Amino acid sequence: MADITAPAYRIIPIIPALIPDAMAGKGPYVANDKINEAIGFPGQLVEDWHDRAIAKMGELLSKYRSLKVFMDACVHCGACSDKCHYFIGTQDPKNMPVARQDLMRSVYRRYFTLPGKWFPKLVGARDLTREVLDEWHNYFYQCSECRRCSVFCPYGIDTAEVTMAAREILDSVGYGQKYSNEIIGKVHKIGNNLGLPGPALIDTLEGLEEDVKEATGIDVRFPIDVKGAEVLLITPSADFFAEPHIDSLIGYAKVFHATGTSWTLSSMSSEAGNFGMFIGNYDQLRKIAMRIRQAALELGVKRIVVGECGHAWRVAYSFWNTLTGVGDGADANDKFAQMLQKQLDHRYKQPMHICEFTWDMIEDERLSFDKSLNDKHIITFHDSCNVARGSRMGNLPGGQFEIPRNIIKAVANNFVEMSPNTTHERTFCCGGGGGLLTDDLLELRVKGALPRMEVLQQAVDEHGVNFMATICAICKAQFTKIMPIYGFDRRMVGGVHQLVSNAIILGDKK
Amino acid sequence: MANIDVGGKNYETDEEGYLVNLTDWNADIANYIAKTESIEMSDQHWEVINFLREYFEEYQIAPAVRVLTKAIGKKLGAEKGNSEYLYGLFPYGPGKQACKIAGLPKPTGCV
Amino acid sequence: MNLMIAILFYLATLFFVVGLFHRIRVYASTPAPLKIPTTPAPTTTGGVVLRMTREVVFFESLFKANLWTWAMGWMFHAGMALVLMRHLRYFTEPVWGWVVLIQPFGIYAGIAMLIGLCGLWTRRLFVERIRYISTPSDHLMLLLLIGIVSSGLLMQFFVHTDVIAVKNYFQGLLNFNIQPLPVDITLALHLLSVVMLLVIFPISKLLHAPGVFFSPTRNQTDNPRENRHLSTWAAKLESEK
Repeated sequence: MADITAPAYRIIPIIPALIPDAMAGKGPYVANDKINEAIGFPGQLVEDWHDRAIAKMGELLSKYRSLKVFMDACVHCGACSDKCHYFIGTQDPKNMPVARQDLMRSVYRRYFTLPGKWFPKLVGARDLTREVLDEWHNYFYQCSECRRCSVFCPYGIDTAEVTMAAREILDSVGYGQKYSNEIIGKVHKIGNNLGLPGPALIDTLEGLEEDVKEATGIDVRFPIDVKGAEVLLITPSADFFAEPHIDSLIGYAKVFHATGTSWTLSSMSSEAGNFGMFIGNYDQLRKIAMRIRQAALELGVKRIVVGECGHAWRVAYSFWNTLTGVGDGADANDKFAQMLQKQLDHRYKQPMHICEFTWDMIEDERLSFDKSLNDKHIITFHDSCNVARGSRMGNLPGGQFEIPRNIIKAVANNFVEMSPNTTHERTFCCGGGGGLLTDDLLELRVKGALPRMEVLQQAVDEHGVNFMATICAICKAQFTKIMPIYGFDRRMVGGVHQLVSNAIILGDKK
Repeated sequence: MANIDVGGKNYETDEEGYLVNLTDWNADIANYIAKTESIEMSDQHWEVINFLREYFEEYQIAPAVRVLTKAIGKKLGAEKGNSEYLYGLFPYGPGKQACKIAGLPKPTGCV
Repeated sequence: MNLMIAILFYLATLFFVVGLFHRIRVYASTPAPLKIPTTPAPTTTGGVVLRMTREVVFFESLFKANLWTWAMGWMFHAGMALVLMRHLRYFTEPVWGWVVLIQPFGIYAGIAMLIGLCGLWTRRLFVERIRYISTPSDHLMLLLLIGIVSSGLLMQFFVHTDVIAVKNYFQGLLNFNIQPLPVDITLALHLLSVVMLLVIFPISKLLHAPGVFFSPTRNQTDNPRENRHLSTWAAKLESEK
């Protein structure tokens, strides 16, 4: 793996020429029997995979309007063709969003449309062969489901939806991905993606209390399984484990401490991430989300706050109410949702992002900061794809862009933006999202980070940027790993609440 | 699935070279895996590996990087209690590379 | 000839209408179980109507994506809208006032359509990425449209056809009373191509026209925290447990 090098920056951001099959055979590891069976999928590729796959596709077409419309509506206009970071970085034409969709659309046309049945060659339809299935496994695991293509599509076609459907079909015939499926198994068994058992979690949190006490002299608590706490914090388990994630966890704890908020973590539900979304499986998505509902009910909390995790916030913001009833506005005779919604305090948004929480507190003047403590940083902000294009914060559309930036500006003096074509709704994925943050896809991850690294370099050259803040565990892990390959210091990346943690004034509220 | 041959015996590993059966592990295997990772095992490396195994024994998971650095700092002096020191020993990242040599499962998730 | 074209028109129209309605019914009845608007998205229904209007009338997303494709695509579609309205004069008697008014603009619109189509085809032929994703049907459909537009313009400017007779013919069709059609190769080409287009429409990518209205990433309101969105099949999962 040491031989993976960064692609060269483009002098001007021209659209790269095609290199067919540049990424052929560079897909992820296949999940083994043990991993697949643990989460209810066939252990290995089943014998009648062809018929089962087509039947599954038919089922999904009847269950998801998105898939049905997206299969029909594409006119091959090419608007999306140069928008994917993986295409830009790898130049493999099958990493163009439209071409990736066509891997499935060609099969859809063959089995589900008249022209495809009668004149397959004419309309680019093809049989589902073993080669096609392998191609699916290769290229649908080279999509991070970041939705950048969907911003530019005149029909709003979202490749993420197609990728999710393809992965769901692959899983249904026993041809899943090792990384995602192994992690999902761990969530069901242990409660988080890491497989961090309760005692280890408690030990880690105690260690953090000591560390913060040592650094600040103040008893900041990291409570866990506290019944009757007001806030249940659901955060990615990487926040307990990895660098720089853990610094943001300390930031959340300090914010809760400084505002006198009673809060708790849950050892049973110690994961915000939900890889069920990545593999497009509604049952897994729901089952994983149900752990949060269960924890909220058992602990009797009034509010649910979500830590810095991109896809988790998409799931929490957009799907939790649907999946588990964490939200508002359920019908009076919707017993399932009412059971939880009656318990929650609807003066606050449910669920709430930690950035919304902190920003509300800043606006209420319940937090104070010594901004100079962040003066060593010249900060820029990387919008995480799932937050930017699959969720919102605050009351207005676009709050997901403004609120994290507002927090940074409230806790630090030096903030600059990167090129506008790569921020807000046009942001690029870090290169590791969507279940691709695994070593077997490192080459793809390095290449996919190219467009972000280019503009970061620009910001470094023009403004001396030395810190890129982000609010996603995947972004943090991905950048920490690949930035040294581009010649940056891995410590340039960190969370927004890491900056909050640096500058917050504890105990001495004004 | 793959296999490695160490000292005339055959051991099962996963695609990435992590030991499948944790009980298989011994010092020879550690040295063997370290070599495939281009790491020359020194006493400093062994300090880390031994701590990882002790911690795993107790908690069934590798320690967080922060827990590891703190423990190393306590044991070997504050100047070594930082992640730079660990990255120096295990350039591919102390979390994964050291776990692999220690015969522990790879940490998964967003790490 | 009169009768053959009449029968083809009847069948094609029937296929077009039935096929299109069937598709729309399928789109409308297929559930959208999760909230997936591409954000930032409007939080109210009024906002969604505005977003859809910008999308359908101005091709907002395509504008963000690629100015050339947008310019060519928009010229073609806007031109087509005017040309179609202009053609209403063949189906109404007396001709509606506003249809009379737009007659001269319709001619320019025809030219704009042709320029747009040629621009799109040039892009498809010469831009490597677009050529890569094009199927034979993508090229043929553009060719068919270019055929329709050129034959129409040809009749407008060079080989005039007897439009009074054409109008009589279509008035007759509307009343199931087949009238003679001028014997004119350009006209025949024009009409047969339109028949072809009507047939292709409900079974091809031309479904993007109704499809865009059903695209969940565009037509959903961004209010998942405020309202519980639950599809029928997803609701069943709750009663099972």
